Amino acid sequence: MAAPDLRAELDSLLLQLLGDLEELEGKRAVLNARVEEGWLSLAKARYAMGAKSVGPLQYASHMEPQVCLHTSEAQEGLQKFKVVRAGVHTPEEVGPGEAALRRRKGPAKTPEPQSSEAPQDPLNWFGILVPHSLRQAQASFRDGLQLAADIASLQNRIDWGRNQIRGLQEKLKQLEPGAA
Amino acid sequence: MLEGAELYFNVDHGYLEGLVRGCKASLLTQQDYINLVQCETLEDLKIHLQTTDYGNFLANQTNPLTVSKIDTEMRKRLCGEFEYFWNHSLEPLSTFLTYMTCSYMIDNVILLMNGALQKKSVKEILGKCHPLGRFTEMEAVNIAETPSDLFNAILVETPLAPFFQDCMSENALDELNIELLRNKLYKSYLETFYKFCKNHGDVTAEVMCPILEFEADRRAFIITLNSFGTELSKEDRETLYPTFGKLYPEGLRLLAQAEDFDQMKSVADHYGVYKPLLEAVGGSGGKTLEDVFYEREVQMNVLAFNRQFHYGVFYAYVKLKEQEMRNIVWIAECISQRHRTKINSYIPIL
Repeated sequence: MAAPDLRAELDSLLLQLLGDLEELEGKRAVLNARVEEGWLSLAKARYAMGAKSVGPLQYASHMEPQVCLHTSEAQEGLQKFKVVRAGVHTPEEVGPGEAALRRRKGPAKTPEPQSSEAPQDPLNWFGILVPHSLRQAQASFRDGLQLAADIASLQNRIDWGRNQIRGLQEKLKQLEPGAA
Repeated sequence: MLEGAELYFNVDHGYLEGLVRGCKASLLTQQDYINLVQCETLEDLKIHLQTTDYGNFLANQTNPLTVSKIDTEMRKRLCGEFEYFWNHSLEPLSTFLTYMTCSYMIDNVILLMNGALQKKSVKEILGKCHPLGRFTEMEAVNIAETPSDLFNAILVETPLAPFFQDCMSENALDELNIELLRNKLYKSYLETFYKFCKNHGDVTAEVMCPILEFEADRRAFIITLNSFGTELSKEDRETLYPTFGKLYPEGLRLLAQAEDFDQMKSVADHYGVYKPLLEAVGGSGGKTLEDVFYEREVQMNVLAFNRQFHYGVFYAYVKLKEQEMRNIVWIAECISQRHRTKINSYIPIL
């Protein structure tokens, strides 16, 4: 590969890396804000309902996850993460990617045919008539989940980008051994 | 009962009234709250609380100090004071104090049943139950499968027995039915307590009846607000409203038909007391409906101390102490989460 082509590719990779870094910073700040909001809304719910009504007594020690993490490989070595509702059939993937369903909590199982029962809303662990702050907490944490998957994909992409750049720089050095 | 409590009250209850007024004087002041709000860690909070009437109540706690431990210790302390009043009381004050404990018993029963649903061990839940609502048959509650089971086998000997009339059914106890059971028991309890105070007459009725009417109306509003968007039908919702209070009966009928917050607000507009409360919800302070109702409750309870020779001072003291505990827990949560923007949302009492 000629040196100018390599340089052009290096430049574009670098630009993409910097863009990804900026996006990562932004998403991290939003995730922190959402998680903080979620915890404060939980504290507000405890204020309204009583301190022992929103706590570890209300949930079982073993729980079925509501969302699963779906990993797919877009390019060689680059993995993307997506958060998917449990109980929803994932569409057939056409292409080079290999799809794997990984459960985030609970025992590791091979993918089974989906059960017909809809997963229960965890909000009902705290009663049917829950205050608004508890619903707000649920919404904040749900947004946070989405962001977490995006951040994981971005970080993967950044690592992959850095490896590519390193590889290209090696190649350039070999082509132009005397170049500064 | 002869009118003229001034002549007879102190014979049986004067000592306890003096005691409860002394306890009320030791509630945290505005200056105490200002000191607490400036704490950086929970250890600081513990040190500041040592200078108040709470003293060394956290001295035996192992590190790390959590908000949950602070709450449990404060509850134990309140329970100790209340049991002293209860053990030294004579009739009819002892019946009045027993009525006060029934609300905590209902909460404990529901906590135990929910725990059974989630397959928790009884010992774990018993540790978290409210100490004021203790009764001997508590450990057996998780065995019951239907409300009639629960009543016949377990609760028939407790003070909760008379509240079960509307709740007997063969439905299995799942989340919806447990919630309905909780609200129906509480409704029955409030109505019985109200009748007791009214029949007692005298200053007690004059002080307690408005407070209990407010409690009934507050429950109606909160049940309505929380039921929007859930699977609870309007007919079911109407059966949960207590049948007394300012809203009974026309307001309750209107509330049962409400479908969103604005419709609820238009119902409240008919009542001079509730109109400004509902209008204060939202706005720049971000107040919730529960906040405005807690504020109003504090106002009414503080006013109860302006009159003498009635049992309302005991009820008012316990409720004010609970509000103080809620305030301290809120401040502690804001400190431990390092999220201090809303730390001043507590309700000052004195």
